[in-house]
Amino acid sequence: MAILPPGEGWFHQKVAKDEKIWMGLAFVVSVFLFFWMIIWHVYAKQNPSFVTYKTTPEEFYALTEAFINKYKVGEENGVPVVKPPPGDVFLLARQFRWEPVLILKKGEEYRFHISSLDVLHGFSLQPVNMNFMVYPKYDYVLTFRPTSAGEYAVVCNEFCGIGHHMMIGKIIVEE
Amino acid sequence: MAVAVESGEKWFRTCDITGFKVDLRAEKIAKVNAVMAVVSLLLAVIAALLLVLTRWQLFHVLPVDWYYRILTLHGLDALVFWIIFFELAALTFTSTAFLNTRMSSPTAGWLGTALAIVGWLLVNYTILTGNADVLMTSYAPLKAHPLFYLGMILFAVGALVIVTVFFSNLMIWRRENPGQSLPLFVYGLMAAAIIAVITIVSGAIIYIPTFLWSLGIISDIDPAVYKLVWWGLGHPSQQINVAAHVSVWYLLAFLTVGGTSINEKVSRFAFILYIIAINVASAHHLLVDPAVSPVWKVWNTSYVMYLAVFASMIHAFAVPSAIEVAQRRRGFTKGLFEWLKAAPWGNPGFSGLMLSMIIFGFIGGITGVVNGMEQTNIIVHNTLSIPGHFKGAVVGGTALAFMSVTYYLIPLLFRKKIAFYGVSKFVPWLFGIGVAILAVSMYILGAFGVPRRHWDITFSGGPFTYTYNPVTDFFWALFGLGGLLAVIGALIWIIQVVVSVFFGSPLKGPQDLQIPIAEPPPPAKEEHTGFAAPGTFTLVLLFITAFIIFVVLNYGWLSAMWEVK
Amino acid sequence: MSEEKKTPFLQLVFDDFILLLFIGVAVYAISYLIWGLMEIAWLPPIPDEVKQALLGR
Repeated sequence: MAILPPGEGWFHQKVAKDEKIWMGLAFVVSVFLFFWMIIWHVYAKQNPSFVTYKTTPEEFYALTEAFINKYKVGEENGVPVVKPPPGDVFLLARQFRWEPVLILKKGEEYRFHISSLDVLHGFSLQPVNMNFMVYPKYDYVLTFRPTSAGEYAVVCNEFCGIGHHMMIGKIIVEE
Repeated sequence: MAVAVESGEKWFRTCDITGFKVDLRAEKIAKVNAVMAVVSLLLAVIAALLLVLTRWQLFHVLPVDWYYRILTLHGLDALVFWIIFFELAALTFTSTAFLNTRMSSPTAGWLGTALAIVGWLLVNYTILTGNADVLMTSYAPLKAHPLFYLGMILFAVGALVIVTVFFSNLMIWRRENPGQSLPLFVYGLMAAAIIAVITIVSGAIIYIPTFLWSLGIISDIDPAVYKLVWWGLGHPSQQINVAAHVSVWYLLAFLTVGGTSINEKVSRFAFILYIIAINVASAHHLLVDPAVSPVWKVWNTSYVMYLAVFASMIHAFAVPSAIEVAQRRRGFTKGLFEWLKAAPWGNPGFSGLMLSMIIFGFIGGITGVVNGMEQTNIIVHNTLSIPGHFKGAVVGGTALAFMSVTYYLIPLLFRKKIAFYGVSKFVPWLFGIGVAILAVSMYILGAFGVPRRHWDITFSGGPFTYTYNPVTDFFWALFGLGGLLAVIGALIWIIQVVVSVFFGSPLKGPQDLQIPIAEPPPPAKEEHTGFAAPGTFTLVLLFITAFIIFVVLNYGWLSAMWEVK
Repeated sequence: MSEEKKTPFLQLVFDDFILLLFIGVAVYAISYLIWGLMEIAWLPPIPDEVKQALLGR
């Protein structure tokens, strides 16, 4: 009984056949799921990144500003627009905006350096729905290859204060 | 069995229904904690109503600052205070009454309870006065008022004291009953208590420095360290719930149909796997975070190669098979499911048990494992799918199980008759179905990219805008419907509990029991070869099929995304 | 007098909740907490090549 101590010899009681089969099946599925994550890392194209660098808000701000100045092509609603070549790309999160707007090319690889100047933010690319965390003091390097063209929103999905809902950026992918 | 007599007074009463020696001091402490649990739940449910009618922007009732404030309140009162106060009551009551043992230290029990209540007051007060708009997770560098952190620390210390009393009660029992094994229900709560130790110690490691930082004594809290350590409190606090609600399932199976685990070793083994492997899975909160490596992520998020998920799947067979075997012994042997059809569905303890298992397994569990796989987390992190998952797991699983077992606690612990008992049989259905609809619609909204913890998905005031797929309008309506049903179910339950406990007629004896306690089934007729529980076996196969399909679908959806590494 | 049947070692482990407490805490502390903290502590700074390409230093 669940509320009474178990009967004498409970430790030696044989396991019922169906319970045994189920346990075997459940164990195989469990271990398989573990190895599946590893296999996906080796062979598939969507994985969280290996690469993080320690940084400071001052350093990251300076790098982003330099990046914006180097590749700026315009401005939209007060946010600088840049069109960088494939390679290192900087995206800065701060209360309550993303900087800069990026114009990328489909099929090319970009090493996004993403960091925050103040609190945690959430990088949520819509409508592809890819989501990553953005930290102050840490440069999260995510290597993206856009596989579709169009206009994409960068929604902040980590609560960052009262203006959290106003924090939305843009990425444009050209053919 | 040793019976201590303190200063000539009897320290126990003998329950005329179960025969247990109930330590009167433990009983009082358990009752206070149970009342605090229900008060917290009431706050959480009122908050939930306001939040549902805000996220559903057709209504958008709360202004921006109150949304995040009420969200903070809801998270803490629901996920921390309601559930942990309930568990503290359970730990106190079961380690004495269920073991026919005296409480090792009533003073410590009262001290722990008092600290927890003071902590609860400080936290709720600082939130409601706008001094802790940081959400339940309070991620540094977001900073709250020092009293918020102090409140959390006091609550944690109070809880730890009560957990320590639980273990020392067990040690007294062990000394007085050498060579005996704990009853399964208490064993499961023991696993919960171990996880609680991990939870609370992690909480101390993170809240104490953060408290000092909020006072200006420490200059800086590293955000990566904060999040890592916080989730050592955050997820294990929910795994206490898993161990506790699985224990409650075994208890309910016993009370409603006289069922018990068909193999004690197997069930206990599963609880041991929880102890060893469940806590490291806090890593699933950090899967798309910088700093920690994929090796650390994959090893930890997998609950050590999914051993803890394996454990849950063991219980998924063990609990229903306990019911099935008891029912089959009563003669319900026709076909695969006569045992289930003939089960006491009118007993809210039974219907709540079944709904809790189904919702936890199919909704909470399946989505939980997939959310927690390193790569599929990319398409769910911080979307509404995350709370969708845990509505299924914690609300449909743990809360519903606790609410169902309360229909037995009112007569057995509070010795009162259940007010409006006729309504009871509808409550698990109303609440359960409401939560199921809520959880699934949230999960689907998240699949369309809708963020969690977000006041306005039209982004008014932002430099750009984005419009979510119009089909989300339908799911917002479902979300509202599910939320409203769940709130109504919860409020009915709360009214029943409050009226019963404070104004209800006393229970004079077993004749006043409204909710039936099952007679034990007749013993097994002959040595049974072949399947002990073919109906359960079919159901778990159905479960694992659904599980595998969901994993495959999610990896399929993931592979359609942009490439990232 | 019935003879004392020796309890299997594994059953003693199953029943020893203090031992289980230690194992639970130890696995979590090492696998999740200490290992995780070490990884955070050992992160490198942004490589000079990246900085030089932008800041020319």
